[in-house]
Amino acid sequence: MSALAVVMMVVICGTIWGGFATLLARALMRERGKGGEGD
Amino acid sequence: MSAKEHFGSRWGLVLATLGMAVGTGNIWRFPRIAAADGGGTFLVAWVVFLLLWSVPLMIVEFAFGKRARLGTVGAFVRLVGRKYAWMGAWVALCASAIMFYYSVVSGWCLRYLFGAVTGELPGAEPGALWESFGGSPAALVTHALALGLAVGVVWFGVRGIERVAKVLIPLLFVLVVVLAVRAVTLPGAEAGLSFLFTPDWKALADVHIWLDALTQNAWDTGAGWGLILTYAIYMKVREDVPLNAFLIGFGNNSMSLLAGIMVLSTVFAIQPDAQQQIVGAGNEGLTFIWMPQLFAHMPAGRLFMVFFFLALSFAALTSLISMVELATRVLMDAGFARHRAVVVVALGALVFGAPSALSMPFFRNQDWVWGVGLMLSGLLFAVGAAKFGVERLRREVVNGPGADLVIGRWWNFILLVLVPVEAVVLMVWWLWQARGWDPAGWLNPLSPESAGTVLAQWGVALVALLAANRWLARRSGAGAGEEES
Repeated sequence: MSALAVVMMVVICGTIWGGFATLLARALMRERGKGGEGD
Repeated sequence: MSAKEHFGSRWGLVLATLGMAVGTGNIWRFPRIAAADGGGTFLVAWVVFLLLWSVPLMIVEFAFGKRARLGTVGAFVRLVGRKYAWMGAWVALCASAIMFYYSVVSGWCLRYLFGAVTGELPGAEPGALWESFGGSPAALVTHALALGLAVGVVWFGVRGIERVAKVLIPLLFVLVVVLAVRAVTLPGAEAGLSFLFTPDWKALADVHIWLDALTQNAWDTGAGWGLILTYAIYMKVREDVPLNAFLIGFGNNSMSLLAGIMVLSTVFAIQPDAQQQIVGAGNEGLTFIWMPQLFAHMPAGRLFMVFFFLALSFAALTSLISMVELATRVLMDAGFARHRAVVVVALGALVFGAPSALSMPFFRNQDWVWGVGLMLSGLLFAVGAAKFGVERLRREVVNGPGADLVIGRWWNFILLVLVPVEAVVLMVWWLWQARGWDPAGWLNPLSPESAGTVLAQWGVALVALLAANRWLARRSGAGAGEEES
């Protein structure tokens, strides 16, 4: 694989998977913070 | 609030909505389009439109469902006004028309799963099963089976949907990850990765790549279909909107990326000389003719073929469930009890899906007409939000109680300017593109993949919905004089 392809793979996968993982972590932390508060 | 049912937890909502978003389009269309459009260049445009089409529309849908607590027709009546019941009805009609033939697609996936498990696949003759099965009475049986499974889940209400999503979606992720890891560890897989990720910067000036990337976002994220709105009815009062919308958008595209890596690595590792032919074979050709052949040449290929069709079946069924729920919810708003509504939807889908099961030209016609129709649905959501007041929707609902992220005014601009422009450009482009497929029959309404058939079927539907607008508003569940606009 060329260096450019590797860089693009890191950027695209990082954006999409990294974005998803970060959002998931944030949602988990918020849910933990709410501590089962219902409505 | 008219909805009595609720998701038991945020994760129930997120997994059910991810199940809605992740469908066959992620697995069989994304890798093909990414390959056809030059890989890396397409991926840049695809990420851009995730943020400029999918996520903004997902936020609107979550907000509409959470605020109105009614299905698509009732939500438009309550939030936009009684004169606009036809808009919500268009969204419901479009999603339901897709449900009719998507049930057929789900049936195909189940048939191929059966073939993979029993060892019938790949068979001696490539494509022999597809030749004998596609458009045959057997496809009617698998259509009924897939529909029966989806209806069986919706029968048990939101808790049934949640329970199934909590099992199938994590399993789907695991299966696709396993398949992707297997694919990238095949000798020669590097060429597939290189093809997928190498950009051609000059191609960024090619408008077709941008339009294909926008189309892929419109078709495979479920944004603007009315399905997210339907699930959002069952959110808790203090439930977040914006973080959930981003989570679904990025989760859906994560799955597409995994599928792209899995399919292209497999193709380049096993049949590098035929890669053009394979990715150019269309959705059904790639999935039902080529993939079984590719798995046959892979160590432990039968096991991975079972995993592949299992993943495809899970993706198809969880999306089909959301479509059945959308139609069911509209009927429930009109006064039907859930079980009666489910039976009506099941019978309607069985009957109206039958022509697509029995005739591939009919299937392709419906896929074409209502696939493009989704772009009009997206436009109607943007118009509906504008009529309600985008700033008001942002302040009162999107950033309202329970919000875990704060959405800025950039969302107003995207919704008021970019989404309408994107929707109109996409519709015009697709209809214009159809000229090339059949120059003589471009405007012929009887030609299966023409602009004429789209305009004729849309025209009939829109005239009927506009004529029935008052009746639709009365039966929407919104009640007289309850609208907020």
